[in-house]
This record gives sequence, structure tokens and C-alpha cells, in this order.
Amino acid sequence: MEKKVENYDVVIIGGGPSGLTAAIYCGRARLNTLLIEKSLVGGLATYTNEIENFPGFPEGVSGLGLMKLFEKQAKKFGVKFKLTDVRSVELEDEVKVVETFRTTYHAKTVIIAAGGRPRITRAKDEEKYLFDKGISFCATCDAAANTGKTVMVIGSGDAAIEEGMFLTKFAKEVIVSVIHDTGKMDCNEIARDAALANPKMTFKWNTMTESFAGDGHLDTVNLKNLKTGDIEGVKVDSCFEFIGYEPNTEVFEGKVNMSKRKYIYTDEHMSVGIPGVFACGDVREKELKQVATAVGDGAIAGVAAEKFIAETEMFENQIMQKDKIGLIYIYSAIDAPSRELLPMMQEIESVFNGQVKLNVIDQYKGKSLCDRLGCDIEPMTTFYTKDGKVMDVCGQCDKKSIMTRLNKLVAQPVEVVV
Amino acid sequence: MKEVTLDCLGEACPVPLVKAQKALEDLAIGDVLIVSIDHSCAMKNVPEWAREAGHNVEIEEVDDGEWEVVIEKAK
Repeated sequence: MEKKVENYDVVIIGGGPSGLTAAIYCGRARLNTLLIEKSLVGGLATYTNEIENFPGFPEGVSGLGLMKLFEKQAKKFGVKFKLTDVRSVELEDEVKVVETFRTTYHAKTVIIAAGGRPRITRAKDEEKYLFDKGISFCATCDAAANTGKTVMVIGSGDAAIEEGMFLTKFAKEVIVSVIHDTGKMDCNEIARDAALANPKMTFKWNTMTESFAGDGHLDTVNLKNLKTGDIEGVKVDSCFEFIGYEPNTEVFEGKVNMSKRKYIYTDEHMSVGIPGVFACGDVREKELKQVATAVGDGAIAGVAAEKFIAETEMFENQIMQKDKIGLIYIYSAIDAPSRELLPMMQEIESVFNGQVKLNVIDQYKGKSLCDRLGCDIEPMTTFYTKDGKVMDVCGQCDKKSIMTRLNKLVAQPVEVVV
Repeated sequence: MKEVTLDCLGEACPVPLVKAQKALEDLAIGDVLIVSIDHSCAMKNVPEWAREAGHNVEIEEVDDGEWEVVIEKAK
């Protein structure tokens, strides 16, 4: 089957908080924007029952509810949504290629907001019971199905303890497997104190999951005591794992720089180091992974994509114009000698009677435009172009050498007077 | 190539997933199963399971909070 090809200004991979925020910024900047999400729009935020630390919601808000609002706002700005998974990407060339099962998308910029997924324990026989057979990663999704039952929570971070407390509203008993010594948890102290005081919660300290067992559906979690080495089979109806996340970066491997744990490196502008490619949110190597920080990342990436596209257009259509012989003068607004040559450049342009087009670039403000001409350009550099190609570069900025160089390129040379 | 629609509207997890797994068993390679769901939790496990099993998956949002998970059986 021949794949369909569609063109976009921006393709955003991932529909969590950072991807949706980038989409809002790109859509509002009137860029033709596509967001690709592999399952539910909202990403990992939809796994959280209640978000109490996202500003603007003093009463708290459900993860799903908050993400619905993000999505609505992105749709308002004309962002298109496609619910499928990305099979491969080509990011190096000017036209970026993003492949899905049925369609090939061509884009000027790509924003990687692929986020993470819950990590699994990798204990024996875990894969037999994933999702519907007893092991879950989403209390919001599966709490009601556990009304009156006994459940286990693995982990002691904020997510484990807070979602565990939420589960106590439904389950008869919530048993928490904690890797640390008695009383020690990875979560914040408020959550810890509340959990210790919750009569429905019990704790198995110094334990790790050894294996899962059950006939068709999970019924036993075998915990190993790290101090004694003893293995205890705990009877449960289901098990919730909250032991952190791993990034969704498989399709980007070998294409962008990643940390050892496969998170994507970016600079402060969310650039991954390839022109026109940005990454934001939990997929990045960064300090704090929260909805609030994802939103900040997404805004930066969205604006960076917008700026990149505007600059590309300006560079191609204006700076590298093909109508006339081009004279490009690099100066710096904070460097007086280079600034003072500006009137002379304009004079030279007019002497050539419309044969020459002058463009000036302020290196101080337009560093990325300078980067496109070649790295490490000093102020007081001149470029000479013909048919959109650089023919000559020169650091001599006296009238005579500039005019001599232009005379080699124009159809009707003019007399050089100094 | 056959196309089968499975109506799971109004059904919560894990019912849509269990039904989808059963329905796909009866299909041949290249056949398409369309699962209609309106519980957002099923949007997490149904596509995830189908991709993990190696099938091709695309989702259409047919209405606000109502989706069709399109699964093409690949093996």
C-alpha cells in the first residue's frame, strides 16, 4: 500500500502536557501543526487521580480533566490530532520525516514530547499478569474494579503513596511493598505521615518483588526480604506498580543525543542539537518531571519552533535572495567600529544602481542567523552571493575591496572611487 | 479482508480489553477489528496491548470522549 504524504510546519510527537503546550503555542502562531499521540491525549498526567500542585486549581483537578482542557485549547488554535504511534523518524535533513503506519509526514520542525511510561519491576512472570490480568499502573483507571478487595502497591515515592491512599477509598486493604527500612519512604513527609496513619494501609518493609503468581489472573506476589532473604507469598487481588518511569525514546535511538538512561539531551532552548528539532517534557534529561515543568518546556519548544521557521524563511527569501548580487554585512550592535560602517554599506549598494542587494545582520541579536552562514563569524565580515549561493567571504571592510569583489559578480561593473 | 466492529461503549476496564483479545483471536491476518470505546482507561490498555502483540493500530476520535480503536491483525 502506497503511503500518504502530508506536509506540516510542525509535527509534535506526544500528547502529554508538554506536547499539548507546544501545540498551543504553535497553533496560536498560526503554524500548520500536527500532534501525534499513540494512545490517550494527556499522557502520563492522565494516570494521576488528583493534581494538587498545578497552579490555577486551588481545589485540585483530575489529571484527565486538566488534560481535556489542554486539548480543547490546542484544538481551538487549529492544531490537528492524529492518534497513532510513530514508527520511525528522519531528522537530519531540512525536511523532517515522521512515519506512522499509514502516513508519511513531512515537517519543517519536529518537537519530541514523547514522555515516559511506567517502569516495571522485571520480576519473574510479571509479563503474564500485565494490564487486565492483575498488574496495573493506573489507580485512577482500575481503583473502582478493586472495591472491597486486597491490593498491593509497589514503591514508596509520591506517586506510590498518593495513589495508594486513593486506592484505600475502594479497596479493603492496601499492602505497600517498600524497599527501605521501617518508616522510611521516598515520598514527601505529608504523604508519609498520612499513609502511616491510614488504618487500611499496611507496609512490608525491606522488601522487593521476587515473582508474580496466579492461575490466569494474579493472586500472589512473592516478596523477598532484603535483610533476611526470606520469601513471603502475599495473597492479593491485584497489584499496582509505581516505581518510576522510563522514557519513550526507542524510535529516536542513534538519531539524537541521549543519556545512559535514554533521556534526550537538550539545551536551554529545548534544541537537541539538530536544526529544527526540539524536545520537551519528561523525555528530556532534566531535574523535575512535573506537569508544571512540562508546560514550561513545551512553551519554550513551541516558540523555538516558531522562531526557527520564521528565521528559515527570512534567511532563504531575504538574506539569500536570488534576484540580485547579494552583499551581506555582519556587524554587532555593541561594537562601534562595525556599526559605523553601516552608512558606507548603504552607499555602496546605491552606487551599483539596483544590481546589488544589501542585507545586514546584527550578530549580537541574530546569532542563529550568523550560524547559518558558518560558525564563529566576527563582526565586520562581508559575504557575497549570487543566485542564493555564497561566492566569496571577506574580512576586509574598506570600500575599495568590497566594490572590487562586487564588480567581479555584477553584469555591469562600476568605477571604483575611494 | 474482513472488518469487524466490537461495541464496548459504556464498558469499563478491563472489559473492552478482554473482549478485544477474544474477538481478534477469531480473525485472520489482514482482517481489521474496530473497537468502539468511551472509557478513557481503555484507551491506555487496548492500543498498548495490540501494539505489543505486533498488530497495526490507529485510533479515531469519533466524538468527544468516544473513540474507535482500529486494529489490523498482523500476525
